[in-house]
Amino acid sequence: MFNKVRSALYNVVGGVEALPAVAEGEDQSRLRVPKFPYARPHFLLFQQDEVQVSADHQIRPIIVPRDITKVPWQSGYAETVNAGKSEWNEDQACVQQRLLVRESEKHIPGAGMPYTYFALFDGHAGYGAAVAAANQLHNVVHKKLMEVIDHILPPLELGNTGAHGHIESSTPRGMAMWYPEKPLPADVFISGALELAFNEMDALIGEDKRKYIMKGGCTAVVSLFIAGKVFVANAGDSRAVRCSLSKPYPMSNDFTPSTERRRLQQLAAHKPELLSNNFTHLEYNPRPGRALMGRKILYRDVFMTGWAYKICSPEDLRTPVVTGEGKRSRLLATIGVTRGLGDHELRSIIHNTPIKPFLSSQAEVKLYNIEAHNIHDTDVLVMGTDGLWDVTNNEKTAEIVQNSLTNFPFGDQENSKYRFTSAAQDLVMHSRGKPEGHNWQTSDGAPGTIDDISVFVIPLAAYKREWEAWKQQNEKLRQSKASDQISSKSAQTAQSSTNRYPASANLSNMDGWFPSLDGKTPTTHQNGGTPANVPVEVGVPHLNVSDLPLAEISLEAEEVMAPEDTPSRNVETIDSEEGLTPTIGSSIPENGDKDNTDPSSTNYCER
Amino acid sequence: MSYAYLFKYIIIGDTGVGKSCLLLQFTDKRFQPVHDLTIGVEFGARMITIDGKQIKLQIWDTAGQEAFRSITRSYYRGAAGALLVYDITRRETFNHLTTWLEDARQHSNSNMVIMLIGNKSDLESRREVKKEEGEAFAHEHGLIFMETSAKTAANVEEAFINTAKEIYEKIQEGVFDINNEANGIKVGPQHSPTNPSLSPNGQDRGQGGGCC
Repeated sequence: MFNKVRSALYNVVGGVEALPAVAEGEDQSRLRVPKFPYARPHFLLFQQDEVQVSADHQIRPIIVPRDITKVPWQSGYAETVNAGKSEWNEDQACVQQRLLVRESEKHIPGAGMPYTYFALFDGHAGYGAAVAAANQLHNVVHKKLMEVIDHILPPLELGNTGAHGHIESSTPRGMAMWYPEKPLPADVFISGALELAFNEMDALIGEDKRKYIMKGGCTAVVSLFIAGKVFVANAGDSRAVRCSLSKPYPMSNDFTPSTERRRLQQLAAHKPELLSNNFTHLEYNPRPGRALMGRKILYRDVFMTGWAYKICSPEDLRTPVVTGEGKRSRLLATIGVTRGLGDHELRSIIHNTPIKPFLSSQAEVKLYNIEAHNIHDTDVLVMGTDGLWDVTNNEKTAEIVQNSLTNFPFGDQENSKYRFTSAAQDLVMHSRGKPEGHNWQTSDGAPGTIDDISVFVIPLAAYKREWEAWKQQNEKLRQSKASDQISSKSAQTAQSSTNRYPASANLSNMDGWFPSLDGKTPTTHQNGGTPANVPVEVGVPHLNVSDLPLAEISLEAEEVMAPEDTPSRNVETIDSEEGLTPTIGSSIPENGDKDNTDPSSTNYCER
Repeated sequence: MSYAYLFKYIIIGDTGVGKSCLLLQFTDKRFQPVHDLTIGVEFGARMITIDGKQIKLQIWDTAGQEAFRSITRSYYRGAAGALLVYDITRRETFNHLTTWLEDARQHSNSNMVIMLIGNKSDLESRREVKKEEGEAFAHEHGLIFMETSAKTAANVEEAFINTAKEIYEKIQEGVFDINNEANGIKVGPQHSPTNPSLSPNGQDRGQGGGCC
């Protein structure tokens, strides 16, 4: 009741920002504020003054971290602001190095698996969502990884799994033979954690939009270096490309109206109520105008790859769900990107139709097995927002990186630490170009981008070295724990059969967990291996385990889970629900959206 | 803090001549003997007073390495002052001045005030470039000249402030168009003639508002 009065009052007064949806009983007097202030990425260590200077739209300075020790492995980062299309640089970035460790093992020096997170967010229609994601997504990812830690990292002592000392199957004993659970490789849990995290982050932004000033939406691309691999999760038109010896190998797909035409049309066809009859799911060639009414027009429906004729009716004059081609394609005639976080309030420019169910937060995850491949010192993962890719294609990117790295050869002790920063800067420079009158022009004389640009250049070899060192150290730790265990609890052997971990005689043998499959990538792919240079997609189709013949899955899974000499039929899968839920409560730091202080993390977020 | 004017500076010169150290000495009054290579561009700012007016200096410190030259060039635009620095203990940094000057003249606005700086004057025993040579070069090309030491802070204040004085004089003479930000000069928010409502005298103007 009071709400009604108040909104009436606001309508009369006018000029006040639209009211947030306030639930009855909520603090009515609260005025909305931003949840996070505008800032540049934490590792740039910018003062307010520098934030201002970096947003100089005339000069568009290319910003690199002044203290490169703030970015792991001396990875490169560079950014530049747009040429004036928005007041602030709406790209955001985040880097985190954290430790995945059980609560029960936190006290043990060297326990836990370190991982590194890089993320880029390209904001639109405001910086709110991008800033929120840069401040929070890593915490959500960490929480999701902790929920499946038992699938990623075996406990140091077998008798001490999880919070309960052991993990039980979710399937009642009698049921197990009818609904057998198959052991799954760690990869699928890591990609699952990333997919869930994107989804949860999007929901969190949706909630916060009602409580705070948080405008717009953003794309998100995350690379997670964990378990000897790199997982790239992408939602939007930012991109990650692995570059090796001047050649590019894409690690993500772009999600735009033209690349996702089929998904959008299918959604429109199956849920026409979402469009309230304002748009059509059909595709036309060319789009008919009033003049063609009653005449034959070329069209295709969602179930067609080919084209056919129909007679143009008034319904055909509605705007198609996807208009335009390529970079200029638009969803509901409004937005040029079809996946991302935020945008809960976004409606189409014409007809005021909600865009959200079409614009999805679903991440596509791909992985590259760094451990299993020969990695050169110049092999990098380049992550960039679309400002980079609009001008510089994958091939040119790989070429520029290779050239930049030769400017700072590894022999140059003093300066080689700048090589990746320099490469990132050169990439931004190439896409931004130089000012020519009122325009920006690249060195090839083509138009430079007027968009914000952000780039990471991450050396893969550095992670590989770090990973191998960790593995050795962890193996030693396990050996010492195992000998402790054998001497103190000789009667524990029986328990190993109820354990889901590889029932290897040698408890310290990590091969079942982090297999070195030289050239082979452990996934649930039917052929078991993948061509060396093709990233493995761990997206839905391959993970839909129930659709695949069980025998093949279990074979694959064994290959991943257990060393050859292991009697893997003894490996019993254990649940995640019952066994893990308590672990979550006890071991996840309460850092969700409140702060970034996690005692287990080397936090790069110090501002 | 409010200012009457903001002047944008750029510091240029070969790698290792002490550009970043000069900036650090001027903004933070400290010397860092081992300084990381500047890769892109760094910013510093300090308030000074000239003729009783608060002037904010916004200083862009650039990378000296040849590899970054094309990137550095894009920062000349929109600078009101440039500090062109060489190292008095390394002759080649003096020899490269002509190239730097050509670059600066070509990519900056023609009114940019350039101060030539021979840095590391504390290292007298290792001097390779005589002070007279610096003076002669400056005279020949119409630059202001000073020898400085970022380490002892000798002449560092003066170098930045004298450049500002020169720019300030040019403003008084009407040489700089202060309404064009591309000249590297910004009129402070409280002094902007185009923004009478923010003028400190705004309240005295009455309801009719001011006219400029």
